[in-house]
Amino acid sequence: MSATTTPELTLPPKPRNIRQRVLVATGFLLFTIATCIPAIGGITLDIAALIRNWNNGAGLLLQLFTPDFTFLPRTIGPMIETLQMALVGAVGAAIVSVPLTLWAATPTNPNSITRQAVRTVINVIRAIPDLVYATVLVAMLGVGALPGVLTLFLFNVGVVVKLVSEAIDSADHAYMEAGRAAGGSQLQINRVTALPQAWPLFANQWLYALELNVRISAILGIVGAGGIGRLIDERRAFFAYDDVSVIILQILVVVVLIEFVSHALRRRLT
Amino acid sequence: MAAETQPNSRAEGQRPEAEDTSSASGSWPITLDNVGVTYPNGTVALSDVSLTIAPGEMVAIVGLSGSGKSTLIRTINGLVSATTGTVTVGPHTVNGLTGRQLRQVRGHIGMIFQGFNLADRASVYRNVMVGRFSHTPSYRTLLGITTPHDRELALRSLNSVGMLDKVWTRAGQLSGGQKQRVAIARALTQEPSVMLADEPVASLDPPTAHAVMNDLRRINNESGLTVVINIHLMDLARTYTTRLIGLRDGRLVYDGPAADATDRDFEEIYGRPIQPDDQLGS
Repeated sequence: MSATTTPELTLPPKPRNIRQRVLVATGFLLFTIATCIPAIGGITLDIAALIRNWNNGAGLLLQLFTPDFTFLPRTIGPMIETLQMALVGAVGAAIVSVPLTLWAATPTNPNSITRQAVRTVINVIRAIPDLVYATVLVAMLGVGALPGVLTLFLFNVGVVVKLVSEAIDSADHAYMEAGRAAGGSQLQINRVTALPQAWPLFANQWLYALELNVRISAILGIVGAGGIGRLIDERRAFFAYDDVSVIILQILVVVVLIEFVSHALRRRLT
Repeated sequence: MAAETQPNSRAEGQRPEAEDTSSASGSWPITLDNVGVTYPNGTVALSDVSLTIAPGEMVAIVGLSGSGKSTLIRTINGLVSATTGTVTVGPHTVNGLTGRQLRQVRGHIGMIFQGFNLADRASVYRNVMVGRFSHTPSYRTLLGITTPHDRELALRSLNSVGMLDKVWTRAGQLSGGQKQRVAIARALTQEPSVMLADEPVASLDPPTAHAVMNDLRRINNESGLTVVINIHLMDLARTYTTRLIGLRDGRLVYDGPAADATDRDFEEIYGRPIQPDDQLGS
């Protein structure tokens, strides 16, 4: 009906690459299947075990679903230790992250040699998984909160410096030309103008790091690095899954609370 | 009142710094001698430009975008270094200077920009304190220590452009005209001997543009500061400046009193007939 008033649109031919897509999809599928065939070096997936051990698993699940809340008082101390570790690690990293970030970003550090050096160190720190730090540090420093805090610190430095320096790289820095024209050194320009400009970026990542820390430090105790994780490990060893269930619920509540607060704060940073 | 006290505070302020003897006497001349700039990508932005600007002159550099006027003004404070020729500002030869010496000379040359170049998240006060960089040791800046003298200079500069009541406002919350005023205050806080302006009104609406040009003329009149303004709009150049320098394709094609420049002269500089947007109107 409207065809009478509007002339028909002529489209350029749509590129046809169905054959290519089918080929790629099939390739991925075959590769995935191949990784599950032990005969050619794939992993062993014994799906039958799921059914064979079902009785075991059901009993465990039943225990998990009937938390023993009389255990709750014993979790308070370790949970507070976990929160303390998370905070100390995040604050320490926040302090160290400021100069490192400014050294790692191109606008705030035009010297490519020092910039690449800092970036390389940060990338190495980031490449090592947190549980590896925890395991090694526990071996070096002994069981306790210190190796946990150091793990979180290193992890946070990696995250904050990487993300904030990349954000600084992609931002607009017209004010720097004015600082240079006024005879300022890079240090002065960074301190007086670049830092206030980057402040919300920093605050955002610091809060995010704190959020991550609460989650991670719950696990770190399993390798002996202090906090609530140590209690999980202990109760699990006694097959007291009703106690483990209490701890898991508690971690869930605390993590949700921290994330809620952190989100609310971060939304106010514009 | 601010106008009377400013020259006094300037003379006092310079005394403690021994190397500043020349700026205490006020305004500096600018001399370009066969200056050429070729960018690393091979673009020739300026070729063989020679001119002398006397202390206290108010000069407009006119030309289309791409004519090299942005490059020319940046050779004066070394933001762009001349590939050939010599740039002399006051007692200093700018080209060839690096590091601390270059920063010292830049400290005497104020500059404002088309895009204002303020740190939007920092307060007006902090932005104006940028003008004290070259007079402040790095450790003081790092620790955030400001001297009463620097503070006084910053506040007086803000007062002279009518922005004192916005001193604690974030720069990003200001209007375009207010931002350019803060940028002028930032340059004045340097106690400059030369003031450069790169298309200072190109991002402003007509009334604000006139207000900013008035500010620049007042600075020139009251403190006898050498002012060099890059400007595309011919009526503003005629009204507010006393000398016109025309650039086309990186070459100097006109140099004469601004009032005498005819429309024909402008067409010669632009290399095309005059168009409606070559004038601001009022």
